[in-house]
Amino acid sequence: MPDKRIEIKATRYDPATDEKPHLQSYDIPFYDDSMVVLDALNHIKSHVDGSLSYRWSCRMGICGSCGMMVNGIPKLTCNAFLRDYWPRAIIVEPLNNFPIIRDLVIDMEDFMRKLKSIKPWIIRKQELPLGAGEHYQTNEQIDDFRQFSECINCMLCYAACPVYGLNNEFLGPAATALARRYNLDSRDQGLKERLPVIADPEGVWECSFVGECSVVCPKGVDPAKAIQQTKLDTTMRFVLPYGNRD
Amino acid sequence: MTTEAPAAPREFAWRMPGNWWTRTRHYFLYMLREFTAVPMALWLIWLLYEIKRAGSGPHGYYPRSSTAFVVFSVIVLGFVLYHSYTFLKLAGVIIRVKLFDRPVPSQVIVVTMFGSWALASAVVGFVLIWFAR
Amino acid sequence: MSEARRRPALSHLFFWFLFSQGGVITALLLPVHVLIQGILGPLGIVPVVDRHYDTWVNVIGNPLVKLYLLVLIMFAFFHFAHRLRYFLMDLGVHAAKTLPAQAIFYGGAVAVTLVAVWILLTTAPLSFG
Repeated sequence: MPDKRIEIKATRYDPATDEKPHLQSYDIPFYDDSMVVLDALNHIKSHVDGSLSYRWSCRMGICGSCGMMVNGIPKLTCNAFLRDYWPRAIIVEPLNNFPIIRDLVIDMEDFMRKLKSIKPWIIRKQELPLGAGEHYQTNEQIDDFRQFSECINCMLCYAACPVYGLNNEFLGPAATALARRYNLDSRDQGLKERLPVIADPEGVWECSFVGECSVVCPKGVDPAKAIQQTKLDTTMRFVLPYGNRD
Repeated sequence: MTTEAPAAPREFAWRMPGNWWTRTRHYFLYMLREFTAVPMALWLIWLLYEIKRAGSGPHGYYPRSSTAFVVFSVIVLGFVLYHSYTFLKLAGVIIRVKLFDRPVPSQVIVVTMFGSWALASAVVGFVLIWFAR
Repeated sequence: MSEARRRPALSHLFFWFLFSQGGVITALLLPVHVLIQGILGPLGIVPVVDRHYDTWVNVIGNPLVKLYLLVLIMFAFFHFAHRLRYFLMDLGVHAAKTLPAQAIFYGGAVAVTLVAVWILLTTAPLSFG
């Protein structure tokens, strides 16, 4: 059986020498049907061109490191199977909407700052004294926020969001979903502290419900739903006399 | 027109391509959905004008019958139906209701939305036709 | 983005509320109007109130109908104004984000609403027929 091969076109950008990014073509063996794009990149780095730079870690879809554009769609490269593209060439580019540091590596400072800005930790008006024991939470209470806690911070949603692409100030899907995760957590009392950020003009109101963030999310977090529900809850809070204070 | 995101020196800044919405089917359908506001607004302006024309007295009033108008309405209807379908389906995603402390599944909310659409259409349709006798 | 600048944007909240209610109202009500008054009526397939002067005046003289039309038009145009402003932003027109742009779009919706009020009050005298 003749060796199967596949063409990978990867973005190269060396800030020291290049004016702008360009695609470089690599022809590599496709020797196993279970190969993913990350395997292809690793093969290139190990056997063909050691200078190719990219992020990866767990190679099993849980760390969120290996997000890249694969044929124009933001994907975890450890979750993009070569067999779904072969025999066509696969174009691997750095995530859209972010500045490029080098090759396939993007600058995620803005994302990290936004995550931090919504205070992603349990905020209590008064901490329970140690003697009172642990917080109790029913399964139903956990179900309220469980979906939004599944985020692995892979930034595919930011790469998919045209609003973020057009306006870098936008808070964005993952940050809003994370804020909602804490706001819905029965142990948390920090909604008022998060409100100035999520209800800021660059917060949820920028979102026009394109919905692409939820389409590309590898973990089913549905950040689009989180944002729309946040808009509704925030509105009800101000419209109703005693608000929807949940 | 493109936008630039702030980037450290030597980083390659992101520029949003002006034709971003032509690049995938989802993006295009989204822009189509947003665009529905235009034909809908135009048709409602026509309706306002129809109401005003009733003030021109029985001799001045004549109902619109031109083919052009019907064609316009058919095109508008296409856009309106697309708006209704997408908006009501997505409303099911947003609305979070708890019944007896358990969340109502979003499919139930969506069905309720479409049921309301059918009911509202039936009522309004009835009024529009019944009072024409 | 400085922390000091952050505050809940009440105007955005208000316009989003009108946008979303307008979206529901137009979604529920507009199709039947377009179908019957725009297509079936002109084609003569069904009798429709606006086909004849007396039936049309009779219906739009009814105060409930006037109220219905006002609510429909007001919410619809706030919905359109909001959606169109964001549509322009999506097309890369950054000017659509500014305060003057908001004044033009939402002010436009207010203007259409006022025109609708004037038309509904001055056309077809109030009748309870």
